[in-house]
Amino acid sequence: MIANADALLKPLTIKGLTIRNRVMSTSHAPGYGRDGKPQERYQLYHAEKAKGGIGLTMFGGSSSVAPDSPAAPWNQISVADDSVIPFFRDFSDRVHAHGGKLMIQLTHMGRRTKWDTEHWLPTISPSPRREPASRTVPKEMEAEDIARVVKSFAQAARRCREGGLDGCEVSAAHGHLIDQFWSPSVNQRTDQYGGSLENRMRFGIEVLEAMRAETGDAYVIGIRMSGDEMIADGLSQEDCLTIATEYAKRGLVDFLNVLGGQARDHIAHAISLPNMSFPVAPFLFLPSAIKREVDVPVFHAQRVTDLATAARAVAEGHVDMVAMTRAHIADPHLVRKLSEGRADDIRQCVGAGYCIDRIYVGGDALCIQNAATGREATMPHEIRKADVRRRIVVIGAGPAGLEAARVCAERGHAVVLFEKGAQAGGQIAIAAKAGWREAMSGITRWLVGQVTKHGVDLRLNTAASEAAVRAERPDVVIVATGGTPFRGHAKGAEQHAVTTAEVLTGAVEPTGSVLLYDEMGQHNAASVAEHLAKRGCLVEIATHDRMVAEEVGTTNQPIHLRELYKLGVVMTPNMELIEIYPEGNRFVAALRNTMTDAEEERLVDRIVVDHGTLPVDGLYRALKGGSVNRGQTDQDALLRGEPQRYDLSKGYALYRIGDAVAGRNIHAAIYDALRLCKDL
Amino acid sequence: MTGLASLTTVFPGLVWAMAALALVQASRRAALWRLGTAASVAWLDGLAKLPRRYLVDVHHVVARDAYASRMHAVVAGGLLAASVLTALAILPPLGGFRPYWVLVAAAFGVTAAGSLLVGARRYPEKQKRLSAGRFQILPVLLVAYAVGGTVTALLLAFGGADGLLAPLALALAAAGGLGLAFEVRHGPMRHAAAGALHLVAHPRPGRFEGRPDTALQALDLDAPRLGSEVPADFAWNRLLSYDACVSCGRCEVACPAFAAGQPLNPKRLIQDLVAGFSPSEPAYAGAPYPGGRAAEGARGPLARLIGPDARIHPDTLWSCTTCRACVEECPMMIEHVDAVVALRRHQTLERGSLPEKAVGPVTDLRQTGDPGGRPLAARTDFAAGLDLPPISVRGEAAVLLWLGEGAYDLRYGRTLRALVRLLREAGVDFAVLGPEERDTGDLARRLGDEATFQALARANVATLARYRFERIVTADPHALHTLRNEYPAFGGCYTVVHHTALLLDLIRAGRLKPGRLPDLSVTYHDPCYLARYNGETEAPRAVLDAIGVNRAEMTRSGRRAMCCGGGGGAPVSDVPGERRIPDLRMAQAAETDAGIVAVACPSCTAMLEGVPDRKAEIRDIAELLLQAVEAGR
Repeated sequence: MIANADALLKPLTIKGLTIRNRVMSTSHAPGYGRDGKPQERYQLYHAEKAKGGIGLTMFGGSSSVAPDSPAAPWNQISVADDSVIPFFRDFSDRVHAHGGKLMIQLTHMGRRTKWDTEHWLPTISPSPRREPASRTVPKEMEAEDIARVVKSFAQAARRCREGGLDGCEVSAAHGHLIDQFWSPSVNQRTDQYGGSLENRMRFGIEVLEAMRAETGDAYVIGIRMSGDEMIADGLSQEDCLTIATEYAKRGLVDFLNVLGGQARDHIAHAISLPNMSFPVAPFLFLPSAIKREVDVPVFHAQRVTDLATAARAVAEGHVDMVAMTRAHIADPHLVRKLSEGRADDIRQCVGAGYCIDRIYVGGDALCIQNAATGREATMPHEIRKADVRRRIVVIGAGPAGLEAARVCAERGHAVVLFEKGAQAGGQIAIAAKAGWREAMSGITRWLVGQVTKHGVDLRLNTAASEAAVRAERPDVVIVATGGTPFRGHAKGAEQHAVTTAEVLTGAVEPTGSVLLYDEMGQHNAASVAEHLAKRGCLVEIATHDRMVAEEVGTTNQPIHLRELYKLGVVMTPNMELIEIYPEGNRFVAALRNTMTDAEEERLVDRIVVDHGTLPVDGLYRALKGGSVNRGQTDQDALLRGEPQRYDLSKGYALYRIGDAVAGRNIHAAIYDALRLCKDL
Repeated sequence: MTGLASLTTVFPGLVWAMAALALVQASRRAALWRLGTAASVAWLDGLAKLPRRYLVDVHHVVARDAYASRMHAVVAGGLLAASVLTALAILPPLGGFRPYWVLVAAAFGVTAAGSLLVGARRYPEKQKRLSAGRFQILPVLLVAYAVGGTVTALLLAFGGADGLLAPLALALAAAGGLGLAFEVRHGPMRHAAAGALHLVAHPRPGRFEGRPDTALQALDLDAPRLGSEVPADFAWNRLLSYDACVSCGRCEVACPAFAAGQPLNPKRLIQDLVAGFSPSEPAYAGAPYPGGRAAEGARGPLARLIGPDARIHPDTLWSCTTCRACVEECPMMIEHVDAVVALRRHQTLERGSLPEKAVGPVTDLRQTGDPGGRPLAARTDFAAGLDLPPISVRGEAAVLLWLGEGAYDLRYGRTLRALVRLLREAGVDFAVLGPEERDTGDLARRLGDEATFQALARANVATLARYRFERIVTADPHALHTLRNEYPAFGGCYTVVHHTALLLDLIRAGRLKPGRLPDLSVTYHDPCYLARYNGETEAPRAVLDAIGVNRAEMTRSGRRAMCCGGGGGAPVSDVPGERRIPDLRMAQAAETDAGIVAVACPSCTAMLEGVPDRKAEIRDIAELLLQAVEAGR
């Protein structure tokens, strides 16, 4: 049991609303909205957290109150008309059935959105200043716009109450309309809404007063705000303290949900959603400072990934509720496991940022390590026992093999897991060697803990052979042998290039000057460039893409770029590596500019490449002929969520998952495994 | 014929002389008992019930050791029969009737056989739990008396009484017999006299009436002296009861603190009390208090019993878990726990010398009504989201659910949540006191702080008087014992039911329909305060059987189960030993190979779950039943 766990498991009462514990999930936009409504997928995602014991789950990050803050950009929720109310009712029934409380975030995003996504209305803001992140130039709001938006907020709050939601918060963080009015970096007005802080606070006060007037005093309304914008021309910590105390003192808000920073550009956005390179709870001091000044409860989210930190934050009195939003994406049953004394079973968020990075490229939020999150209708968070106990052999203890072994063992099967290496983890073990990417190893740690707990016969240092597999007389064989790094097609690469994996495993220890050529745009090259530069190499990273680490999402890529700039790594986009040849004890790399076809050469001590992986499939091919299904997964059955139907009385069924099929990523490997094995 | 004639007089005379000597020795002993304080004793009732108490209640305990039982029946029966028959031979018609002497010889013969059984326990090597010292000469005296008596009786029956053999045999019988009678004061035979009298004047006569007479007696807080400091502070019949001790060591074998190497041996404790009021008592010759303490301390009815340099070290006193295993095993029906609490009361109330780590919890209990100093309103935090109905809303409920201290514990909250779910499932009309529930004061009472206990008892009784309910249900056997057995002295008389008993009723009434969990292997650990203090051992087992688990019993179970180490304030006293009691208990559980140790008490849950490297899960009966009910849906 962690220290201070009892502090987390105490109820909190706000007005008449009793929340059963101090753990919550903040409003966010998982991209699950459909037609501006929270429909089944969205509701099941939150209901699962309620089932898992969470006290309060808040949904609908940036839910819009008016059409000129469109809901379309992140598949968001629109609370701008009454058609959303029935969905709210279903939603609250689902969450209340499990004892959880449900709230929504309401906002008008002002300039922080796009005009070309839904209604083609111009964006609005106190002053016409462009925001780098959203890239729109807003219309300066007229007095009529202000009155209109204030009314929209009030009507939206009414819809929340009528929909049975337990409360709502308005967003005045991350550069939305209310904090656009607050922040001198945006608000250049000279009327009663601009100038002094008192004037700049006015719009937000009018919004909250209107919401109160519409919903009555008993309804719980809070605000999400920054505790310090951390930019020269923005809101200082003192400004934020003043706003918080003023709003609380006026009785406008029933809780303050405080975070640090803002999000007006790439790096600010990455800092406000701290990834695994940050320490845990980096901004806890901000809500703590506000809590000293106000008498309403204070909430806080920002990289609180583990319960020990959460419990400390509450026990020491920094906050009243601690939000573990990404932690719940990794494990929606976190609170239940804590209260059942099974804290070791919690799949802890590693801070990879896979969930949020997908949203900002228009995808849906998915967890790098939990393939069931966001797929509650089809994927189980709790594995049901199988009717028939099978003998299952899994080959390879990377993420795919470990997840397959875990799910099969929880199904009640007898599982043997072969791993030729001395440790489990596959390519995760390699990735985790690169500086701040170390936390990736948490994915493996949990999986190894679970397979051990569920009695998987994990055989490390044991390479599987066809004979060894057959000797187990398996009903099912799952090949998860992963991939091997590919050196690429450039002439001479096979002889002279080394791979990023070889650098991280220590097989090669480059010194001097290094050209790192990347065709994947993923973390691999960027993190190896940082790794090499920190070891004293002069590094140039060249890529076929328009920019370095182009495939890395918005909460991680700025961190890579920041580190590479700091270390003096030369970043060269739009280049293709066409040839490598030795010259003396050094190498020449021939590069071609992909736009101009102009060729350049580099004379360096080492050439490192990242071309992803190719499948390790020798054992698969050896076992294929003897299998009843010739190694094929019935894709139709898989997609329908039905069991694979092969006659196992005649022999074993053979499946291939993860990078052993084709090099993809950790989530793909884990989803392959869960999707197949849940029905085995 | 003169030889024969005189022998028929002298031999019975010897027995009469023995009786006289025994009486003298016993009355010298009784003078010591009278040093104790007054006690009200129902003499006539006690005397009338003596045979039954001896033959039924004492025998029930003695019979657990079959050898000892046989031995005692033969030797004591023979000794009594032979002596009485011989004494009666003072009457000429009997003394002159030769076949009568055949009968006497047979009785002595049986005694001789019994004496050999007594000897076999002690020679060539004594059994480990027995004490040596004066007890080692017991078989010698018995053999002398029995063999001498047999030969003398045979001579009287078949002639030859005037030969040389007769005086030799008579002398042998006299040596043995008078020796035995002499031993009534300081030696082994004291147990016969003190034991019989103790059964008559027993301080807890309810024990013999089939009810668990286990409630501590309320202390008059206005008395000039609180608790027992010196032997003379004990009631006279308590001093008498300590004299009944036969040093058989059954308590020592049962004592969890002794097993854990903590400085407590109940046998030695009783013998130290005896030595306290009997300054010329021979040296103790049994197993010592673990830890090898040498101090002997001062003796005498007014010598302090407890202290670092007194006969009994404070650590000995605070090692006791009040589990009553010693009481349960004692063939002489001695009440060790009462002695411990009487001594603790003096230490706590008069000297303020609680163990260091117990001061905090007891102070918090006194000041806040909870030993952890936690807000009373936080007691229901465990159930946030379950909407526990407070009884103050309606003022009544069929069942008042007493939550107890366990409600504050994170682990135990799971048990209570399971129980609440089961009550809901079964449609039980229940409510809780919520912020009005104070601790029962159990911890304070066992640690001797009777003042805090009584204050809490009165406060709780006053609170309960404001509400109407049919019965109190609790999952905490300590709360159950206190509410059911100890609150009546403060005007609170309630029907108090353990949750396992209620759950069994609900299953039998069809209000809970559990599925079966045949894959679970379970062994049930009896809580002391439920099994020994209240005699309830069947309901928890019946619930487990109703959910179809594979149930195994530990060697020590039911009323003879071993304590988890969590009672009597022992966890807060925290006297160091060589091992930990819960570790020992879990090792016993491991012998059954059960994957789950079922518990029915918050203390047991905490103690057993705290065992490192344990293989078995710790689950309350309510948790297992909820699992079965969910499986049955």
